[in-house]
Amino acid sequence: MAGLLLSPTEKNFILQGVQDDFRSDGRSNIDYRPMELETDVVSHASGSARLRLANTDILVGVKTEIDTPNPDKPGLGKLEFFVDCSANATPEFEGRGGEQLANSISNMMQRAYHSSQAFDLKQLCIFEGKQCWKLYIDILILECGGNLCDAVSLAVKAALFNTRIPFVKAALMDGGNIDLQLSDDPYDSKLLNVGSAPLLVTLCKIGDKCVVDPSAEEESCSVISLVVGTTGNSKFYCSQEEAKKLPNVESKCSTIGMNGAGSVAPKTLKDAIQQGLEAAKSLDKALGQALLRERQENISFKKHSYGFLK
Amino acid sequence: MPATDLLSSQGLRLDGRRPNELRRIRCRLGVFTQPDGSAYLEQGNTKVLAAVYGPHQASKSKLSTEGVVVNCQYSMATFSTGERKNRPRGDRKSQEMSMHLRQALTAAIKTELYPRSQIDIYVEVLQADGGAYCACVNAATLALTEAGVPLRAYVCASSASMAAAGAGSAGPEPLLDVGHVEEAAGGVVLTVAALPTTGHIALLEMSHRLHMDYFDIVLSRAMQGCRDIEVILDRAVRDHLAEGWTKQDVMTI
Amino acid sequence: MWTTKTFLTKTKRGNILKIVREHYLRDDLLCGSAACNVCPHKDDEYVLDPKPESICALFDYPHYLVLDTNVVLHQIDVLEEDALTNVIILQTVLEEVKHQNTAIFQRILDVIGNKKRKFYSFVNEHHKDTYVERNPGEKQNDRNDRAIRKAASWYETHLSINNVKGQHPKIVLITDDEKNRKMAQEEGITCCSVKDYVENVNGFVGLVDKLSKNVIPESCSKDALYPAHLTPAEIHSGIRNGKLHQGTFHASRDNFLEGTATVNGYEKSILLQGHIGINRAVDGDLVAIEVFPEEEWRKPSDIVLEDKADDPGDLLEEESVLLNAVKPADNKNEITPTGKVVGIIRRKWRQYCGILLPSKFPGATRHLFTPAEKRIPRVRIETRQSDMLASQRILVALDSWPRNSRYPLGHFVRALGPIGDKDAENEVILLEHDVPHARFSEAVLACLPPNDWTIPPEEIKKRVDLRSICICSVDPPGCTDIDDALHARPTATAGVYEVGVHIADVTHFVRPATALDKEAASRSTTVYLVDKRIDMVPDLLSSNLCSLRGGEERLAFSCVWEIDENANILSTKFHKSVIKSAAAMTYEEAQIAIDDSSRNDEIARSLRTLNKLAKKLKKKRLDNGALLLASPEIRFQVDSETHEPLEVQAKKIMDTNSMVEEFMLLANVSVAQRLAEDFPQCALLRRHPSPPPANFEHFLLAARQQGFEIDVSTNKSFSKSLDEAVIPGRPYFNILLRIMATRCMMQAVYFSSGNHTQEEYYHYGLACPIYTHFTSPIRRYADVLVHRLLAASIGADVTHAELLDVRYAAALCDNLNYRHRQAQYAGRASVALNTHILFKYRVEIESAVVLAVKRNALQVLIPKYGLEGPLYLPSDMFTYNEENHMQICGDVTLKTFDELTVRLSLDSTNLQHRKLVFQLVKPFVPGFSYVPEEQKEKKPEQMEVDKEQENLKKRKDTAQSKGSKKKSKKK
Repeated sequence: MAGLLLSPTEKNFILQGVQDDFRSDGRSNIDYRPMELETDVVSHASGSARLRLANTDILVGVKTEIDTPNPDKPGLGKLEFFVDCSANATPEFEGRGGEQLANSISNMMQRAYHSSQAFDLKQLCIFEGKQCWKLYIDILILECGGNLCDAVSLAVKAALFNTRIPFVKAALMDGGNIDLQLSDDPYDSKLLNVGSAPLLVTLCKIGDKCVVDPSAEEESCSVISLVVGTTGNSKFYCSQEEAKKLPNVESKCSTIGMNGAGSVAPKTLKDAIQQGLEAAKSLDKALGQALLRERQENISFKKHSYGFLK
Repeated sequence: MPATDLLSSQGLRLDGRRPNELRRIRCRLGVFTQPDGSAYLEQGNTKVLAAVYGPHQASKSKLSTEGVVVNCQYSMATFSTGERKNRPRGDRKSQEMSMHLRQALTAAIKTELYPRSQIDIYVEVLQADGGAYCACVNAATLALTEAGVPLRAYVCASSASMAAAGAGSAGPEPLLDVGHVEEAAGGVVLTVAALPTTGHIALLEMSHRLHMDYFDIVLSRAMQGCRDIEVILDRAVRDHLAEGWTKQDVMTI
Repeated sequence: MWTTKTFLTKTKRGNILKIVREHYLRDDLLCGSAACNVCPHKDDEYVLDPKPESICALFDYPHYLVLDTNVVLHQIDVLEEDALTNVIILQTVLEEVKHQNTAIFQRILDVIGNKKRKFYSFVNEHHKDTYVERNPGEKQNDRNDRAIRKAASWYETHLSINNVKGQHPKIVLITDDEKNRKMAQEEGITCCSVKDYVENVNGFVGLVDKLSKNVIPESCSKDALYPAHLTPAEIHSGIRNGKLHQGTFHASRDNFLEGTATVNGYEKSILLQGHIGINRAVDGDLVAIEVFPEEEWRKPSDIVLEDKADDPGDLLEEESVLLNAVKPADNKNEITPTGKVVGIIRRKWRQYCGILLPSKFPGATRHLFTPAEKRIPRVRIETRQSDMLASQRILVALDSWPRNSRYPLGHFVRALGPIGDKDAENEVILLEHDVPHARFSEAVLACLPPNDWTIPPEEIKKRVDLRSICICSVDPPGCTDIDDALHARPTATAGVYEVGVHIADVTHFVRPATALDKEAASRSTTVYLVDKRIDMVPDLLSSNLCSLRGGEERLAFSCVWEIDENANILSTKFHKSVIKSAAAMTYEEAQIAIDDSSRNDEIARSLRTLNKLAKKLKKKRLDNGALLLASPEIRFQVDSETHEPLEVQAKKIMDTNSMVEEFMLLANVSVAQRLAEDFPQCALLRRHPSPPPANFEHFLLAARQQGFEIDVSTNKSFSKSLDEAVIPGRPYFNILLRIMATRCMMQAVYFSSGNHTQEEYYHYGLACPIYTHFTSPIRRYADVLVHRLLAASIGADVTHAELLDVRYAAALCDNLNYRHRQAQYAGRASVALNTHILFKYRVEIESAVVLAVKRNALQVLIPKYGLEGPLYLPSDMFTYNEENHMQICGDVTLKTFDELTVRLSLDSTNLQHRKLVFQLVKPFVPGFSYVPEEQKEKKPEQMEVDKEQENLKKRKDTAQSKGSKKKSKKK
């Protein structure tokens, strides 16, 4: 973050630590800091999640709307990402101050979700060629404490996991109009299959090595960072019995991006991607477990929502 | 215009409150670490966050030698409303809200203490279910308190409406703390921001028409709401201070 | 406690939203029982008795009743009966009732509001212990049933706390839902069906009769006579995709197997024929219709068909009569679309007046009921009091119409009185026209000033004192609610007069938002029946304190003009005043005062000035294009003791009538202008839309046959050509023409100025751009409002919130217009009733004119009495010329405006629908016309003639002894 002043010795200390896979706060290079995650915090959104990673605070709300599919993709629904950098995070974001950052994050997310192997848009279809769901994934950045991309991707996946889409019956009427019938039972809704949704991992090059989830100090030691988007594994997002039935799918890289002024040697890049895939896998597994546990708790007793009151 | 059908024959409102009851208010100070003061407040299903930065040096364009410049921004999360909003701020309504916030908060801040300085107050509406402005003022008061900005008094905001005499209900009756459903019923909504300890009114705004006959009772109901809210805010501040002492400060000492 | 409710809705734009609402659960709600030791009741908050006495044999211990929604919806008549007490009405039930039927909701609220009935409404939905959340997969209805059971068992345990075991009242759940009963029993709740409970109630005879026979109509598929109705979902999708149409069903008055429905998208209304085509729709119902393909479209049958069957059991008779009568029409224009009812969207059933059909089996409990309204089918009811009810007019409610029943099922509500009894018949008229006529409640009477009220001195100080001015009122004889008085006197300037119209200041007594005001607003108008007046405000006001009686000091609202000799208005002012009327005159007395040149007192001078100015005002008005219309008005001479009508005659119109009218119009216009200026959004005005050209078609044709071209393009040209259409030697012709013109007009309506554009304010009949009603606040609520607005406008009174509320004003106007219309209809029905009573004992031969020519009848009018009715022509003798609207038989041609001689008598074969029979005397048509020489009238009812003669004689005696100018006419 801007305004952070480090002396050369401090920088050197961090750099040496990274080379030895032992960072200044005791983590290894692919360890994340502890996170707090809660879903269903915005009651009138279809799905929502709040994630707090160190000082980074992300709130994601998913809203559904009925739309007509693109003519060239009649069987697919739509996803739209919108990022808003709240001025609560820093006065610099006041007015349109955060727009550039917001756009870069939403573009990154859009790219990561673009592949059909990352997110299956068929599940958003209502009536082929006529009507589909459009999901608005609205990301609100409430506080910036570094590592925004990773936090956003985790929060988005959690919010999508939490999203319930109402069941509608669609019938084709005379004249090509679609008549939608809505059940009066609010429980009559379906969950999305989000297991394969991608996670973004930011790898910060410090020296020759890369670290994930850099602290603000580590970020200031780095000149370039690499963002790797990898698809998730559905097995982590369902019960063990169901998981056995699912085929083994290798995680795939759905997007790669680079930020910063420096450059990377091909060898480092390859290692970095590999490191990213590994980090993503463990992250994915941890997220899946947390979400499943929360859902289990919801079924067994009515959940007490904490929100920001904790 | 009093709206009909807001009070049942048993004297309860649509959500089960009595006419003089506030919605459930829950709040917390110090939600974030980076701002100088921050607070979260929910009033029923309306949920807002407020953050305060400053006082710090004022930007050149805004600088005033008389007192501190109070800069407010009202913003609504795109998922905060029933139907999705396209942009979080910059529309006319949020600009108006920002101005109203500034009006109410400037009245409470001892501006003369900080010439050539600026205080930034940012509020973010996470969920809007009626009375968002009131919740914002109340949350901002808490955030200012946490930031240690000297205030003349707590500034609290509350709304009130008028229920017409409906089938079987007794006479027209003013309603405190109007929710979204009641707002949508088309009745009058009177919003008051006041400094209850001094009894001063910092801002008064009214939508729709209201006959003068009813004005006094609606206003006094809103004022009563402000006083009730002040008690809640005061308790929250005291709890926060007590908690802060035991948790953090002991360790640093 | 706090929880939220979540549900989904669809927006108008087709989007689906998730809505979350707060729902507060409370711990401060009272149970309302005096047996409770827990809730902190105050003394006046106990509703339910500590030890209610059981009236039901099935449950011989003290108990409270808990009802489910359907019990309230269907058995409201039982609940309204003063029998069941100590009943708990749950909020779940109230809300469902409100959602499904607002009329019943209002009625149950009234029952709850009646302290004596001991009905307690318990807010179970907001009570922390009785609120239930909907389970996944649970239907809304099941959830509500569960909530009701939960509340019932909560009461049971709640009352047992701190009470000796077995001493506290038990809870009995009343529900007709078998599944619900079973589940309740499993949960340990005592329950019972309505039928079982009510049938075992002791001490309330007749309660059983009020049980609604509600069966689910579509479930009776065994022996079904009618095809099943579509489900609401099917109807909804059918209407959405255009296969079905929605419309209000109007049964034909003449043919019980025919009806129509007006539907969007079709110029003509859809014709529905036969039992199957109508499929259990009742007049007024909102129905779903399937329209037949165009090749099946045909003409309405144009025949009269009455349901004559005396309870043939549940089968549908042959409909061949009807079907044979329907010929495919050759003329394209006459074809109307046909269709059938496939479902009912909403029943609009109300309670119906009528009589029981005599039963073939003595002591039977199942009976057929014939409603007075011909459009309503007969109703099957069950009663054990048939012997008593056979001679009574009764009120019946419809319950359901199962597929296997020829007639709908209903239940007896109450008896109105013996058939033929004047009060009972008036009651029928009032009920059938929805005229509120109950006695004024205590709350209303409490708003009245004391009987000996006099004007307090401080009130006089606030007002302009006009007591010294010679003011007089002119009204019809016998009028006790005098709401207007007039004066005129010369001013200092020569040729300029001061003219004042003084209107009773009703708003001084009827203050806004009081019970009195609400009652008056609901009644909207005083209803005049021939022998009865249903007041809008209590008698003390209408006939005394507000009535501007001669010689008494009264409060008034005055409108005073300065008018020059040529009737130009120089200035107008309004003020509240105190007046003392010099004389309350009749039109006749006033006329005599004007004509009697020997009189030169102040009253006579004033009246002469008024009369002179009125004539000039009238001329101006007519020059502007105001229409002089006419309608035959009848006046009965009524026996002051028996209230039987003695004589009927057309109303006489005198100069003084039009004099008063002219100044009232002037006052109304002046006030309207003032209000529209000061209250552009909420002035209460009255408009009269110009009639569409199509209304005039038949009228123009008839006039043309008499050789007159009437120009109806504007009201001015219309008025002019009406004036010119005179046939020398036939003075009545012009009046007749005007009567017919009146029938082409639209209804004038009240409206609030904010809801229409300025151009729409126009009053066509009076040819003035703006108009309102100001002059009769005693008998019209519209005038009360206008008074309040005007008072606010001149600063004599303050406005209040509702007065300026545009939405409220619109709702009020709707009610005013509705009540106004109903009052007119009720008045006409009363005239018809009295005509029938009058002609019960007499037969007359009178001259008549033809008003209209129909396919099988002539519509004739008797100018002398202002009576009209159909003269039926047999189709085998007369041929109908459609093009020229003529009936031809041999060399006799009958057309509109023809003068005839007819014989008048009363047909009493149908007790409910007695009607005047017109028989042709002249021109003579052999084999059809009535031959007077034979004294035929004695033949049909030979046995009763003696009695009739006797009655006639008796009546004549009373009439003569009262000195009424009765023309004794012996045929």
